[in-house]
Amino acid sequence: MTTSTADTIAAGSTPTWQRWMRRHGWTVGVWLLLVVLVAWYSTLIPSFGSFQFATIITNGTPWVFLAAAQAVIVIAGGLDLGVGGMLVLTNVATARFMDGQSFEVTIMIAIAAILAAVVINAFVGWIVTASKVPDIVITLGSLYFYQGLALAILPNPGGGTSEGFRWLFTGSDVGTGSNPWPATVMIAIPILVVAWWLGKTRSGLSLYAVGSDRTAAYLSGIRAGRTKIVAFGVGGAFAAMAGLSTTAIAGSGNANTVGGNMTLNSVAAIVLGGVALTGGIGSVIAVVPAGLILFFLSPILTAMGVDPNRAQIIQGVLIVVVMMIAGLIEWRRQRRV
Amino acid sequence: MSTTMTPADSPDVESAPEAERKSIGRRIAEHPHVVLIAVLIALILLTGLIEPNYLSFRGLRNSALYAVPIGILAAGQTILMLTGGIDLSAAMIATGAAYVAANQSPEGTAIAIGAGLLVGLLAGAANGVGVGVFRVNPLIMTLAMSAILLGLFTSWAQTIFSGSTRMGDFIRTLGGGSFFDKRIPWAVIVWAFLAAFVIYFLRRTGFGRNLYALGDNAIASRLSGIRSWQVLLAVYTIAGLFAAIAGILMGGRVGAVDLQLMGSFLLPSVAAAVIGGTSIFGGVGTYSGTILGALILGVLQSMLTFLGAGQAVQQMLYGAIVIGLSWMYTRIASSQ
Repeated sequence: MTTSTADTIAAGSTPTWQRWMRRHGWTVGVWLLLVVLVAWYSTLIPSFGSFQFATIITNGTPWVFLAAAQAVIVIAGGLDLGVGGMLVLTNVATARFMDGQSFEVTIMIAIAAILAAVVINAFVGWIVTASKVPDIVITLGSLYFYQGLALAILPNPGGGTSEGFRWLFTGSDVGTGSNPWPATVMIAIPILVVAWWLGKTRSGLSLYAVGSDRTAAYLSGIRAGRTKIVAFGVGGAFAAMAGLSTTAIAGSGNANTVGGNMTLNSVAAIVLGGVALTGGIGSVIAVVPAGLILFFLSPILTAMGVDPNRAQIIQGVLIVVVMMIAGLIEWRRQRRV
Repeated sequence: MSTTMTPADSPDVESAPEAERKSIGRRIAEHPHVVLIAVLIALILLTGLIEPNYLSFRGLRNSALYAVPIGILAAGQTILMLTGGIDLSAAMIATGAAYVAANQSPEGTAIAIGAGLLVGLLAGAANGVGVGVFRVNPLIMTLAMSAILLGLFTSWAQTIFSGSTRMGDFIRTLGGGSFFDKRIPWAVIVWAFLAAFVIYFLRRTGFGRNLYALGDNAIASRLSGIRSWQVLLAVYTIAGLFAAIAGILMGGRVGAVDLQLMGSFLLPSVAAAVIGGTSIFGGVGTYSGTILGALILGVLQSMLTFLGAGQAVQQMLYGAIVIGLSWMYTRIASSQ
């Protein structure tokens, strides 16, 4: 008893940096983990230069965007199994309509695709709030719907895009190069804008309020339903960004990509990024390295000479172990309180 | 919030026939299964309109055969959802069990089935340890288990399980064969036994009631002496076994097993439980509802096939119908 009281008093008078670490410790930890992994990877392969660096960031872009999509929705107390389907749908639709177009037209198409994704996913969010059916069920349906629609738009893999559009996401006209900056900027701008929106604005903070206690948020004057719809809309935008970057990287669309698997990766990424699946806790900044780490595991394991199937086993075990550690930390924290 | 508003603004507009209609609505709300049965019959008749040959033993048999693996997988999902859990590794467990069973088929039927069930038992128990003992979120635990199993079986397929991928004759009869002049599939009989067991287990045994208690209020059930980790370990293990049974039956129906065998059944198994009225948050649901859900999905599959719709349209319709049915069910069940 005495120790816990002492702890509480100590917590009240802790210097700000300690409090900052308590709030952002997980975010810092995930970023450090990414840095350590990149450093380790650089010792594993014969030459590590800007090309390898660019490859990691560029090919990790869809993972990061999809994780961010899931993070925004989960923070608001939802869950969207459809984000992977939205990725495939956007990939396929843009690849089909961008084929043979000029740079300006492809940009217009990209913007239109993002807007359409916002409207469609916000509609899914509206169905979730209006029907009171659990998110997981409605978005299971939307996952099927997106995947089917994608198949209808482009039955066989194909399509294309402009060179400029590919450069925008990959730093190269052909999809692979050694210029990591375009991909970095494409990730940084939307993520920072949304992080600012979530942390500093009234409408962004209401996502946390609704996610942590819907009734309390409602009673304090937040429109809980509308907030959730907004979260689904923003999530849809990120999922569309993931689809656009896939189009840029691959230079084509493929409706046979299994969107469900990408959704599952996004869920794993946000958990690694410290977003609580119960809602109300987490940040999109921490989700960026988590998405990159999850993508990055397979090249690392391949570089270590592990066969790809084993790599998948190790990836699964790692996710479980991380969850167990997170559970243990949470359990200890609760005991202390 | 909108449905809670309706009672407040309706009284002055409400007339006598309206009240009568409401009492019918209430009666339906108390027995939501009635609606599911009505939907099932309507779907069967509609399919019969599209393809008259469907309304025969042979036509209905195909729907039933499609519903069997969904229904058995959904049995696992139902008992897990009652505790507030879910199993996203069910399809992979089923595939693994079928793969091992096919591999052991030259050793004899009993060994093949036993080895297949053992896969389900072990993978299910591992899920149970993760969720029950280490308190890992069920979504993450089973998702990771699915990835682990896929990796394990992909590498084992080239090493220790590189032998036969064909099921033994007995399992093939069990999975795809029929009796009574090829009218009633054996797989349906297996499902019926399993269903009777699950329904009895949930309604009449103390352990079955523990599941509802745990899902309804974990803290209250702990205070009343339920050891939640034991219940969760048991229930995930049982769900693993069910998945293994579904996989072995499906493997027997297809004949030759590969690692994509059951993948497409995962989401329908969750959908069947949800359409049948099982709450994903725990504490509410019955297996009889899930059975109806599985049958509805089975008929739906036949209808979409007869419509000659391409895979694209099938998936879109499937998604729209899952949303529509679950919305309708929640509306009806909450209107009481």
